[in-house]
Amino acid sequence: MRISYLLLAWTLLCSPLARGDPWQYELLLMPSAQAVGTFDRQAPVTEIVDEVVQIDTLFTVQRGPFKLFGEYLVSDHEHDLERFQLGWQATQDTVVWIGRYHQPTSVWNHDHHHGQYLQTSISRPFLDEWEDLGGILPQHFTGILVESGHKAFGSWRLRTAIAGGLAPIITPDGLEPFDLLHPDSKHHQVGFQARASLHPGEFTESGFGLLAATDELPAIGLTAPPIPGLDHADLKVLGAFGIYAASNWKVHATWYHVDTQLNSPTASVHGSFGVGYVEAERRLPHELTGFLRWEGSSNAGDDAYLKLFPMFVRQRNVIGLRWDFLSRQALTLQLSDTNTLDGHFSDIRLQWSAAFL
Amino acid sequence: MRRLLAIVLLLCLVAPARPASQAVVLVVRADSPLQELDSVSVRKLFLGFPVLINGSPLRPLRNHSDSLLDEIFLQQIVAMSQSNYDRQILIGVNRQGWLRPTEYVRLSDLVAALEADPYAVSFMWERDVGHNPKIRVIRVLWSD
Repeated sequence: MRISYLLLAWTLLCSPLARGDPWQYELLLMPSAQAVGTFDRQAPVTEIVDEVVQIDTLFTVQRGPFKLFGEYLVSDHEHDLERFQLGWQATQDTVVWIGRYHQPTSVWNHDHHHGQYLQTSISRPFLDEWEDLGGILPQHFTGILVESGHKAFGSWRLRTAIAGGLAPIITPDGLEPFDLLHPDSKHHQVGFQARASLHPGEFTESGFGLLAATDELPAIGLTAPPIPGLDHADLKVLGAFGIYAASNWKVHATWYHVDTQLNSPTASVHGSFGVGYVEAERRLPHELTGFLRWEGSSNAGDDAYLKLFPMFVRQRNVIGLRWDFLSRQALTLQLSDTNTLDGHFSDIRLQWSAAFL
Repeated sequence: MRRLLAIVLLLCLVAPARPASQAVVLVVRADSPLQELDSVSVRKLFLGFPVLINGSPLRPLRNHSDSLLDEIFLQQIVAMSQSNYDRQILIGVNRQGWLRPTEYVRLSDLVAALEADPYAVSFMWERDVGHNPKIRVIRVLWSD
């Protein structure tokens, strides 16, 4: 119902301002199918699902400088409106979004989103894992996102993204974002994110940047919280990232430092941990791409907040090979070796992914 | 004298014809508010980036009407291989909901679309512009 009101308001707003501009649209489908086998399993809990068949649908409806942009994911495990944004292209380099967005301090998710085809590896780094797959950091917010780009230092580009919106809550099943289709904002608090990065040119992915976020995550219905009477958790994230992208090589590194504070009516428990990854990708002959990823953490075993997430990956090594065997279709094989806070497991994954525009 | 004339005519017929010079030009509707567009903006436009004039986005029309034009488009306008261009378009849709350029395989359809929209921008052989008063050339993108 609220979405209907939002759509109506947007239509009324943009109709006079975009008078004379034609309606335009775009539809992108990104299906994928994945099979996973685990072995050498000593961890009591993993985030592994044995097989996943999914289709990620992206749609844009645009009129003049206004657009409606959405991403809907349907799989054999879930279906969700992942992004739903009303956008205004304020200037050539600045766009203002209102709606449900992927928070910009997750560099991986902000670049790849849910479509499997556009990421080289099958799995994403655990620090960027989605909330419903055991992720430790909030990824989906509902509010305002402003993305911008400016010239800086001659031919360099400064890209920025700032955002504020309703953050997820902590439930017995992990983090739970605000659901646009079944809205209930009773418990959700507002979180803020900011990212700034410098790039040596307009068209390159290479660059480096800093990010920061602050969130208050209310705890609802936990039966065994890490501290008695847990009311909410405060997170403060500071991070840095760098990407080097050449014609045959791509290297991507990210590190987050997270300050945590668990609050109950009678006590507060402070903690902090670090988490990050380095991924290297190499394009090979015959449309092959090899990739390696190292994921690591520091001080994770001592942080009370991470005890809320039994699937937390303390350390992981990933190796794989992708074959783009047809235009916009790829097969990927990936091996991982994972240490969680409570154990260890290995897995092998095979994936077909595609994009249809 | 007649024999000489016959020889000259024969030579003209059998001599290899020197091709006329060719050029690819950036074109808009004659009354378009677009007056000039630098090469970086042209590249951005055909990669799907938003390029605005008076607050309204320009709409790129890709001319797919012949293979040589496609080659020039990839080499001179967007400066990347077909597979990289394809990927760049997918990334733009996935990250920002950008619209890809509308593609036309028939020149007549492209010209009709161009004539219908003051914010449309396309490219074509200079010879195909001819003396069409409804189309204006903004700049030369490539010439041999």
